[in-house]
Amino acid sequence: MSMDEEKLFAARLHAVRCRPYLATALFALHPVESQHVPTMAVDEHWRCYVSPRFVDSMPLAMLAGVWVHEVSHLLRDHHGRGDRYAAEHELTEPGERLRMNIAADCEINDDVFGHGLPCPKDAVLPYKLALPPDLLMEEYLGRFTLGPWTDDWAWLECGSGADGLPRPWDLGPDGAHGLSAHERDAIRFRVAQGINGSPGDVPKGWQRWAEEAFHPPQPWRELLGAALRSAISGSGEDYTYGRPARRAASLPGVVLPSLRRRPPRVCVIVDTSGSVSDTELGSAILEIAAITRALGGRRDHVSVLSCDAAAHVTGPLCQAEGIPLIGGGGTDLRAGFDTALRGSPDAIVALTDGQTPWPGARPPCRTVVGLFNRPRRPEDPDYVPDQPPPWAKVVTVG
Amino acid sequence: MLATRENPALNAAADLLALLHDTTTEPREDSQLEALTLAVSADLPVLLWGEPGIGKTAALNHLADSLNLPLTTVIASVHEPSDFSGLPVVGDDPAVQGVPMAPPDWAVQLVRAGQGLLFLDELSTAPPAVQAALLRLVLERRVGTLRLPPGVRIVAAANPRSSAADGWELSPPLANRFVHLQWTHDHDVVVRGLGGTWPRAALPRLDPRRLRESVAFARRSVCELLAARPGLVHQLPKSDARRGGPWPSPRSWEMALRLIAFATAAGTSRDVLSMLVRGAVGDGPGLELLASMDRMDLPDPETLLANPASAVLPERGDLRQTVLDGVVAAVRKRPDQSRWDAAWALLVLALETGVPDLVVVPATTLAALRRDDWQVPAAIDRLAGVVSLSQRADRVVGGVR
Repeated sequence: MSMDEEKLFAARLHAVRCRPYLATALFALHPVESQHVPTMAVDEHWRCYVSPRFVDSMPLAMLAGVWVHEVSHLLRDHHGRGDRYAAEHELTEPGERLRMNIAADCEINDDVFGHGLPCPKDAVLPYKLALPPDLLMEEYLGRFTLGPWTDDWAWLECGSGADGLPRPWDLGPDGAHGLSAHERDAIRFRVAQGINGSPGDVPKGWQRWAEEAFHPPQPWRELLGAALRSAISGSGEDYTYGRPARRAASLPGVVLPSLRRRPPRVCVIVDTSGSVSDTELGSAILEIAAITRALGGRRDHVSVLSCDAAAHVTGPLCQAEGIPLIGGGGTDLRAGFDTALRGSPDAIVALTDGQTPWPGARPPCRTVVGLFNRPRRPEDPDYVPDQPPPWAKVVTVG
Repeated sequence: MLATRENPALNAAADLLALLHDTTTEPREDSQLEALTLAVSADLPVLLWGEPGIGKTAALNHLADSLNLPLTTVIASVHEPSDFSGLPVVGDDPAVQGVPMAPPDWAVQLVRAGQGLLFLDELSTAPPAVQAALLRLVLERRVGTLRLPPGVRIVAAANPRSSAADGWELSPPLANRFVHLQWTHDHDVVVRGLGGTWPRAALPRLDPRRLRESVAFARRSVCELLAARPGLVHQLPKSDARRGGPWPSPRSWEMALRLIAFATAAGTSRDVLSMLVRGAVGDGPGLELLASMDRMDLPDPETLLANPASAVLPERGDLRQTVLDGVVAAVRKRPDQSRWDAAWALLVLALETGVPDLVVVPATTLAALRRDDWQVPAAIDRLAGVVSLSQRADRVVGGVR
């Protein structure tokens, strides 16, 4: 049985007309006729394996939707992400790959259909699994298991490009018309650049993808760590010529620097006006304590201040857990800064929701602000909080 | 030593160790090793990022072996700044003689050898003062009063932040002086290596006839991009974490230029070049550079129009579409009958050598460019397949609405 190529390509043309921003990627896909795939499947080298029977049975508009669906797997690198997820969580069972395919489909299908591309009845959609929309494949993977509710999709098959498991029909890296890693990156980059250049008609999901495809957002722990490390660099262990080395006596005439240890003093100001029992607040403080310790700081050199309208000294952080946080009500971090500066710290870290006035002058030590995203206070909807001052390094937490 | 000779147990142990060390090498395609040797031969300092124990040091040992260069390993984190900037030695009359900065022993030996690989290990755990002292070594190749000869190549290694127990962010000026390579282990290489055969590193073979052409190509590709995108010339990353990686600056663009010239002269694959360029100027700017180089590789629309009979169109669909769009745009810019006919010939060629759907849009646009007195070329009949395909797609739109 030979394939109705004209129908297949007319469907791609229709897909390009409906999703012009994906045209580069759609044209880069190389279709390969295959009797082994049940429907359409992609591999990581941007080949699209097509079953002739499937092309015959599908209406043209639906086929166009499948084109967009398959190219979305490749653009979103589900192959690489599936492999990484499997390695991280040590997943080896074949069922896990089906779960990955379902999760990957959940991620892309909310953008694929509509606007000229009808949604097939058996499409994988998050609401069918009682999951919220707009999540990523990795987030979906942690939230559902296989069971009777996924039986409809037991034969779901988008190929190795969707989950990373090689398939028997794959032509492999050396086969004809495969794209190399560099070419694949170049195509993804061109599509992302096109979307970033004129985001007008592009759905939100694709805009987010284009922004993050080559600049993945970093986790706040890393950002907070980097900010804190650069704020207290200069303290900790370093060499100095300010004092002769002990070995200098044995080398007359040579000036040796000595290694000085100056444990950094860090003061953490915690804004307790919002929700006090915040697990993220606790983990942020633990993170700060761990970083300071790694840089040669001592625990008693990290002090924690809880602050609402006035500062309450909580004292040095002697126990990593169970820091008593006192307070509640309105916030004024200026009081906290005043109290913190009395101990002449090397760095101040303020953990706050940002709804506070800030000190007018720059404090003599470096400042890191960990900003929590909390809902606005309901009693005063018009209240716009001050922006954190420019001299502070701001890291958005959570 | 004497004891070893007399102790049969230790003798047997020594024999066993010698057997274990007896490994061979084989030529093998390994893109990260190829990238490393290319950067080393281009005399650019390389920084290998990788988890501890992944084989960075072993790779350097193999590299030194296969290039037949002496390897000097200096673990940056256990050295003092004076080991790199030189020890100030106060003489009899410092006001007259000055205070010379005495170089350490390893630098003297390197200079004496005249060539070698200097391997700076554990760079990310070096304290800030040591990193500052390394700036001069890496960029100016000076250790104290000594200048390292041109035959000495510098390679450094660092552990990524997440795996270094204690450590510092690499300072931005130091990070900007390196070509950053992410070092990962290749499962097959490790298994084969433990079996006794490691991949062999070979310096890239530069084609002496292509040297001038390579330099011109490299200059053109970098200048074309930077002329169009002035914002890319210098961009210090906003986040502290990224400043310790590759980022674009005039200095790192110069490194990228040199890498392109070397890769072109050596005929290296784009995959390897992509790794290197992204390691020099960062992911985003690197990809933009490569995308603009890809565009330079495409055939020029004017050349195609001048001689459509001998035209060769790229195989890949997206590139072919770009070329056809370029051809139609060129006809629109300077329309006359002969160019219009040539463009139709190219579209027919595209249809005969590839898939039909990407010819639809250029054909529609080209048809709209027709002037009343122009004869429709006979070849247009051969585009009938395109028309029926286009109509089929049109019908869907009607059906859905």
